[in-house]
Amino acid sequence: MSQESNLKFQGAKKYVLDQELASIVNISMKLEMPLILKGEPGTGKTMLAHAIAENLNMPLIVLNVKSSMKLVEALYQYDTLTRLNDSRFGDSNRNVSDIDEYIKMGKIGQAFCADHRTVLLIDEIDKADTDFQDDMLDVLDQMQFDIIETDKTVQAKHRPVIIITSNAKKDLSDPFLGRCNFHHIAFPEPKMMRKIIAVHFSDIDAKLAQNSIDAFYKMREVDSIEKKPATRELINWIRALNADPDFRAKDLIKGQLPFLGVLFKKSPDYERATNIASRRRMF
Amino acid sequence: MFLNFFYILKDIGIPVSPTSFLTLQKALHQGAIQTLDDFYTCARAILVKSERYFDLYDQAFAHHFEGVPLPEDDGFEIDEMSRAMLDEWLKDPKKLADILGMDEDALKKLSPEELLDYFKKRLKDQDGEHHGGYKWIGTGGFSPVGHSGHHPGGMRVGGESRNKSAVKVANERRYKDYSTQGPLTQANMGEALKRLRNMIPTGPKDNINIDETIRETIRNGGEIELIFDRALKDRLKVILLIDNGGWSMDPYIQVVQTLFDYAGAQFKEVQTYFFHNTIYDYLWEDPARYKKPKKVVEFSRLDPDTRLVIVGDASMAPYELMAHDGSIHITQRSGRPSIEQLKFMAKTFPHTVWLNPVAENMWGYTHSIMAIYKIFSMFELSLDGLEKAVEKLMRRD
Repeated sequence: MSQESNLKFQGAKKYVLDQELASIVNISMKLEMPLILKGEPGTGKTMLAHAIAENLNMPLIVLNVKSSMKLVEALYQYDTLTRLNDSRFGDSNRNVSDIDEYIKMGKIGQAFCADHRTVLLIDEIDKADTDFQDDMLDVLDQMQFDIIETDKTVQAKHRPVIIITSNAKKDLSDPFLGRCNFHHIAFPEPKMMRKIIAVHFSDIDAKLAQNSIDAFYKMREVDSIEKKPATRELINWIRALNADPDFRAKDLIKGQLPFLGVLFKKSPDYERATNIASRRRMF
Repeated sequence: MFLNFFYILKDIGIPVSPTSFLTLQKALHQGAIQTLDDFYTCARAILVKSERYFDLYDQAFAHHFEGVPLPEDDGFEIDEMSRAMLDEWLKDPKKLADILGMDEDALKKLSPEELLDYFKKRLKDQDGEHHGGYKWIGTGGFSPVGHSGHHPGGMRVGGESRNKSAVKVANERRYKDYSTQGPLTQANMGEALKRLRNMIPTGPKDNINIDETIRETIRNGGEIELIFDRALKDRLKVILLIDNGGWSMDPYIQVVQTLFDYAGAQFKEVQTYFFHNTIYDYLWEDPARYKKPKKVVEFSRLDPDTRLVIVGDASMAPYELMAHDGSIHITQRSGRPSIEQLKFMAKTFPHTVWLNPVAENMWGYTHSIMAIYKIFSMFELSLDGLEKAVEKLMRRD
């Protein structure tokens, strides 16, 4: 076993890792299998990849999947236009008859060609067509792909650590899931959230942290909210509260919740939340 | 190793594959799993591919490693079984009564819930006596062909209740959320739906058309001439209206479920609304038809190019369709008979189809189907029908 695969992921500076997830990440790295992460927005799916890269000192390559994306774009691109331009003007030092010079690696290609093991984050794969997943099966299975234009095969020098995220909206196809490990990140418990806040605000007032987290979870429970506030919103909210000189932590207990717009970003949600916050005292 | 555990997972209803089991063995072999805690998390990550099954996994794990008995009622296999039994009963009450050793009349007096409970009990008994002994249930039996089942207790219990008027539905079972149940199954249904696309060039002209560029460049005597196009995007809007009310649609849940799943996966813009039996004043965004009503008249504001797909058995009592106060829900009687609302929808959206899970050759026997058939292009909810429906929706007229 190479030394690299003995690396263990232990969390990063700005990422609070729970033990369960750590062992799943480690086993996926050991088995060299992609790890699919599902969960509500704001549960730190994307952050995990950043944390792994930081902790293991590997370069991070991010593939942001877009709805119209074809797999080829993620693998490589044949830059016809530059070639056409070069063949007309000939003022570059590229060799026009050598197609290889015009092949540019996409994100997956970069991860495969890198000299060191990398972390490859495929973000929000469910955005693309199901074709995208189906096409990707072989690439992930064999860790190689063909460049049609030059009839060459690109083989991964080092199997990247692959993290795939998906928002729970759609199910991924069965054969695709079969080639990956799966984990669903639940929304953090208040206790966990306290740790997360502590990591982000090292010198935060204990009372403010406590009260704002309590208020946050109360507001999450408000009925028929379309988009529940997530960790990101809470962090921004605390930042806003911190920045306001007139604000005192005990106001939160009285049910005065300023800056609700930071937590609720859809206008019906916002109205509902303001209503409820002003109508009843939170505690 | 852990072969038993694997089969417990399989039996309890989690779709586990041998390949993933081998992966788990590999992990064990590599010494990556040291403790039972490790095993719990890693085996779950490797074997279980959806959070829907996490709870079942926990149960199986507790059962295998700590001897906690498996909860019996919740295993949804039994639920499925009893559901299939109920369908069977709808088709042939007598046969089932015979098999259960019950008087047909006594059976009829039970409410559907009681029936289901009774079935479940019987199923468990049977399981105890001899395994695999309920083959005769025939789970695939969702075909709409069969006898009419009518419930003398006053509640309509199936799509099979042809020609019989529905009494006001009292015990409506609400929480059938098609969108979250069950995995995808019939891949070919997706294939049929795939053609329902309308690729239109939209956005700025930022896609280079290589072929045209080369042609123009040659025409230009080698001087490069760049030709740009707009990107093609699927701009088709689809509204899906699903009848999820009462018992008459229950036998078709599987097939509607599949359709729903694919609609979500295939179309960029699909809105789903629910109704019961037919359309009155409101349609609902939530499957329970409770929280988010939308007035039917408001649909006139939507893009008339939207493709409207209605799924329902169109089977109901004639007055429900024709009468001014036909709605079985008292809150929804605005005075416009449902048939007018349907005509309004058909007029608002020229591209409309009605998909009916009832077999086509049975349509003629139900008055309400024929009445609706005159308003909408109706197709059978089968692969064939679906393809025809897609063809109709994409026709340019």
